[in-house]
Amino acid sequence: MEKKFWVGLFIVWPIAAVAVCLAAPSLGWWFPPNPAIEGSTESASAFGHRIDDLFYMILVITSVTFVLTHMALAYVMWKGSKVGENDKAWFSHGSHSLEVIWTIVPAVILLFIAFVQLDVWADYRVISKFPEEAKENAVAEITARQFEWRIRYPAPGKKLQDDPQPDDLYMVNELHVPSGKDVMIYLKTDDVQHAFFMPELRVKQDAVPGLRIPIWFNAELSETYTLVCAELCGWGHYKMGAEVVAESQDSFEAYMLRLQEEQNYDGTPIADADSDEDDEV
Amino acid sequence: MCRAIQFFALVGVFAFVGCDAPQSTFVYNAQTEGLPQIAQTGGTRDGKKFKGIKNVLEDSFGTPHELVAWEKLPINYGGIGGSADEDAAEDEPAEVSTEGVVDPASFSFADASDEQLAAYKEVPGYHLAAGRALYMEHCLHCHGTSGDGAGPTAEYLNPLPRDYRNGVFKFTSTNEGKNATRADLARVIKMGIAGTYMPSFMLLEDEEVDQIVEYVRWLSMRGQLENALGAELAGNYSDKAMSERVEGGEKRSEIMGELREELALLPETADGLAGDIADAWIEAEDPETQIVPSIPHVEDTEASRQRGRAVYISAAAKCTNCHGAQGLGNGKQTEEFEANAATGEKWPEKGLHDMWGHIIKPRNLSRGIYRGGRRPIDIFRRVRAGVKGSGMPAFSTGVLSDQQVWDLVNYVKSIPFGTTAPAAVEQKPSEPAG
Repeated sequence: MEKKFWVGLFIVWPIAAVAVCLAAPSLGWWFPPNPAIEGSTESASAFGHRIDDLFYMILVITSVTFVLTHMALAYVMWKGSKVGENDKAWFSHGSHSLEVIWTIVPAVILLFIAFVQLDVWADYRVISKFPEEAKENAVAEITARQFEWRIRYPAPGKKLQDDPQPDDLYMVNELHVPSGKDVMIYLKTDDVQHAFFMPELRVKQDAVPGLRIPIWFNAELSETYTLVCAELCGWGHYKMGAEVVAESQDSFEAYMLRLQEEQNYDGTPIADADSDEDDEV
Repeated sequence: MCRAIQFFALVGVFAFVGCDAPQSTFVYNAQTEGLPQIAQTGGTRDGKKFKGIKNVLEDSFGTPHELVAWEKLPINYGGIGGSADEDAAEDEPAEVSTEGVVDPASFSFADASDEQLAAYKEVPGYHLAAGRALYMEHCLHCHGTSGDGAGPTAEYLNPLPRDYRNGVFKFTSTNEGKNATRADLARVIKMGIAGTYMPSFMLLEDEEVDQIVEYVRWLSMRGQLENALGAELAGNYSDKAMSERVEGGEKRSEIMGELREELALLPETADGLAGDIADAWIEAEDPETQIVPSIPHVEDTEASRQRGRAVYISAAAKCTNCHGAQGLGNGKQTEEFEANAATGEKWPEKGLHDMWGHIIKPRNLSRGIYRGGRRPIDIFRRVRAGVKGSGMPAFSTGVLSDQQVWDLVNYVKSIPFGTTAPAAVEQKPSEPAG
């Protein structure tokens, strides 16, 4: 009786896994909602679809493997539970061919995954493969630190330089980028490792002390996307959230001008009339 | 089988019952704790009960769980007045209720409908109560339940989180010696303080930031009243003062009788002191108290920076004493034994100290990190008002004209880039400071 209880318990998991796998996409459990499309969890960037394809491929392989191995495990246990208390035990010294098979098959699968993802990896991570448009649009340098994102933009009409410039513009926790364009940012960290994660755009990159890492992406629609830290970076990790505002080129430029005006504020009243209109764009 | 059931039953019990969070309480400062017991928690005199400092504070401010809306204070409690006018002061403190249609403690602005928002504002004291909830979530772990800058994570931080209890905030838009405005505090919460552990809370709604600001001001006023009440009594009745007086020939019982007499008047004393505290916070919001330059930002030219450099090394400004000739924060004063401004005694260790008694380093101006903000007006105000509570003094218009301060701003902003002609930099560089 007790044996069958445990066997039953172990069989529940592969069944539950299959049920959850089937139910998850329609419940929106796999991906965060796309802010631009009501009820959709599709990637908000075209490149994200390629990431998703890899994700699905790996998910299918691991799900099938998980279910098959658990079925095998359940079968063995079920059979074992029927062995009587007084039956003689049977010892196995292993099977050479079986071991060769379960070494080679996973190795082939891993090699397959390694080759399939090469292109995506290269297009996403290797700067020489970045789209030309992204390389021309270095929007900002983002410095992660415990527990916020500090952003440095070049002055309107200028290019982002490696080192801070006197007329650079600064902001914190609110990144603006032009939408529908390949853009690039540089990622740094002031202290420990952080990870720059925009789940809706399927962008995730660790910030590593000592490195200045380029990242490119394309936020297709003018929306506000989420930016969070995805690397446990300390006790305040949970509060390291920010917004990425993708907007038309015009309103992006207007924002930069507003930021410049705000940063040059000298205590004399700012003329508000223009900037209020820009807010509505 | 039986054991498995026991195991799952146990897990179930923990899952449903959980463990109770301990109730948080306000702590009292060392000055209060150093007074005789009756000055802390009250006693009786001629058969009549009188209150101690802790009772008076609890009557006027309550506990972190039951806030009291004392109308004498210039606090926007939300739905309950809040002013310093004399009529209101007569009212008994009303307890802030968090009961009602909507619980402000768990209210979400992001998801609220218009009706919910209206219902929420019907709860008396909602503004401060919501501020308390947000403070507990975001601020407490560094700044502490009582605003003493001694939350659980504080001991790992350098610089330390602000202790609000003396009402002093470093970066303000107000004149020398004046309190911070609501807008000053809101800006710090929104933008964070670069170069310290204060992070940005940019994603909070404006109203949420206002609520935190109100709670911080309220904690600050509570601390100020405690300090002021303690100071009234500490001169004559602290452990040290008592033993000195006894040595001087006075009888202990006579001193205690005198203390009882003073304590009988403690609520009135508190009322008067709170009035002064309230006035200072009201004054801070007065536009007259703001630092507004009489001339716009002087254009950032080589000539202006050179004039600024001249001000920087001048005898009137003495910037080099602390910030060093190159602006590296390594001036000679950082190597001296300073006197404690509060006691007049020398500090046991070298270096500058802030009013909280911690070693403080003058800013290394070559790093381009400006804690109080990088806008020209921010740096202008740092010079005009000083960095309150730190060694950075205020330079009044009598010492530096607005034109000179703007030149200085232009020079200071050029230091990280070394764009001011080296002819003006004649002193030897030494070890840079943090």
